[in-house]
Amino acid sequence: MIERWALISGLKGDLDTYELIQKDLKKTPGNITLFVLGDMIGPEKNCNKLLHRLINPKSNDLQPWCIYGWWEEQILLESGYRGNQRAEALRINKGEEVVKSLINAVDKSFLDWIASLQFGFVELDCGLIHGSSKDVGDDLTLDTPPLTLLDRLTRLQVNRLFTARSTQQFHLELTEGIVHSEVQDLAGNHKKEQKVPQKAVIGVGAGKNYTLYDVGTDNTQFVRAGYQLEKKKNGFGLHL
Amino acid sequence: MNQAVISCLHANLPAVEAVLKDIELQGITNITCLGDLVGYGPQPNEVIELIKDKKIATCQGCWDEDVVDGLDACDCSYPSQVAEKRGHFAHQWTTEKLTKENKDFLANLPYSIRKDKCLFVHGSPNSQHEYLLPDMDAFAALERVENAKAEILFCGHTHQPYIRELANGSIAVKVKNSGSKDIQKKEMNLPMRRIVNAGSVGEPRHGGTKATYVVYNDITNDVKIREVEYDIELTCKAIINAGLPPIFAWRLKNGFEFAERAEDASHVCER
Repeated sequence: MIERWALISGLKGDLDTYELIQKDLKKTPGNITLFVLGDMIGPEKNCNKLLHRLINPKSNDLQPWCIYGWWEEQILLESGYRGNQRAEALRINKGEEVVKSLINAVDKSFLDWIASLQFGFVELDCGLIHGSSKDVGDDLTLDTPPLTLLDRLTRLQVNRLFTARSTQQFHLELTEGIVHSEVQDLAGNHKKEQKVPQKAVIGVGAGKNYTLYDVGTDNTQFVRAGYQLEKKKNGFGLHL
Repeated sequence: MNQAVISCLHANLPAVEAVLKDIELQGITNITCLGDLVGYGPQPNEVIELIKDKKIATCQGCWDEDVVDGLDACDCSYPSQVAEKRGHFAHQWTTEKLTKENKDFLANLPYSIRKDKCLFVHGSPNSQHEYLLPDMDAFAALERVENAKAEILFCGHTHQPYIRELANGSIAVKVKNSGSKDIQKKEMNLPMRRIVNAGSVGEPRHGGTKATYVVYNDITNDVKIREVEYDIELTCKAIINAGLPPIFAWRLKNGFEFAERAEDASHVCER
C-alpha cells in the first residue's frame, strides 16, 4: 500500500477545518500518517474543543502526531513554562490585547499537554518542524536564500525539511551546488571541493491548505480541504 | 594597514604579555580581542586590567558571559563528565576571584564588533558557544559569514588558528509543483568569503604550546598566523599555586590538542 503523510498546520482552534481535513483523508487512498506541525492554537477563537479532539481522537479519526508551533511557544512563554522569559515578541508585535486573547483562548488544563509536545520529528531522512532547525519562528519561504535553506537542512542532517511557519505551500529543490574550500593552518594548506546532494524544503501551508507527501515517490501534493468534495459534486474527481 | 586579532586569553598573563609584546614589535597598534579573557587560567583580574589599560576593543566570549550570567553552556561543551566537573570548578574559582569592576567590564562587552567588511565574534554570529571548526560543512560555514553580512568573519573559541577561504560556489534550485507549467529553475553564484580563526593566546589547542594570534592587512587582505613563545612554567606554577586542576598546567606544558572540546562541536547550546 502507498504510504502517504498528510502535513497540516495553523488550525488556530478551527475544529471545523480539522474535521474537514479528517474527512478528506478518509477518502485519500494509501496508508496515511497525519502530522500536525504546530499552531493548533491562536488568539482568534477558543481552542479548547480542537485541543480536546487532538488529544482524544474520535474512533474513526486518523491519529494526529503533533508538534508545537510559534503560537504554542508564545503561550508557554507567557505561562511561565520557559523560566523567566515571557512572550515579549508577541507583546511588542501584536500588543497586550492579543496576548490576553491567546491566554483566554486556551484552558490552562491543556498547557501541560502543549508543553509535552516535541520541537519536531525526524522521519526517514525528513525533518518535520514548525519553523526550522534553528528556531520555531524561522520563516522559510521560496524567497529565503538557498544558503540559509541548506544550513537549516544541514543542522538537522536531513534531506527534506517540511516547514509550516510561513503558511505558504511550496516545494523547493536544491538540485546541485558546489563550493571550493581552502584551509590554511599551521600544518599547511588543505583544499577541498564540496558538493550539495539533492535536498528539498517543503512549505506545507496552513489552515485548510495542507500537503500530502508520497513517501515512495517523493512527490508532494498541495490540497485545499473540502476541495476534493466540492469538485466531485461538479463532476471533477481529484485523483490522488 | 596591519591589525592584530587575539582570542581566548584565558587568564594566562605571561602569554598575553608575550603576544602584546610581539604585536608591539611589529608596530601594530590596532588590536581586536575576541573574548574569553578568563577561565582555566590563574590571573583573570590581571588579564582584564591589561586589556582595559591597553584599550583593546573586545567582544564577549563564552567564559566571559558564563562568569557574569551563570553557566550558560549545557554539558555538551565538555568531552566527559570529569572535564565538565573541572570546567565548573574553574568557573566557580574565577567567579570568586574576579572583582566587581571586572565582572561589570565583562558584562558590558559587546557580542560582536563590526569594522567595515569584517565582523569579529567569539564563537559564531549565532552564538558564543558555537564552534566554527576548520572542517565544518563548507556551505554552513559560508552561511555564517554571508548571513552576518560580512566578507571576513574573525572568530576564536576553537583554540585552533586557521584561515578558510570559501570560493567559486554556486547553488541551483528548482521550484517543483508550483502550479505553473514552466519549470522554475535558477542558479546562484555564491560570493567568496573568508573565516579567520585567531587561535588562542592563553590555552592553545593546535598541538603546539606556543600562543597564537593572527595579523590581518586590510589593504592586501593577507592574513598571517603568528606563534609566540612565552614562559609556560610561570603560568603552570601559578595554576598549581592557585589550586586550579593540575591538568590545566599539564596541557599547557604538553600542548594537549583536544582539551575540553565538545565531541559534537557543531552543537549549539540552547540553554
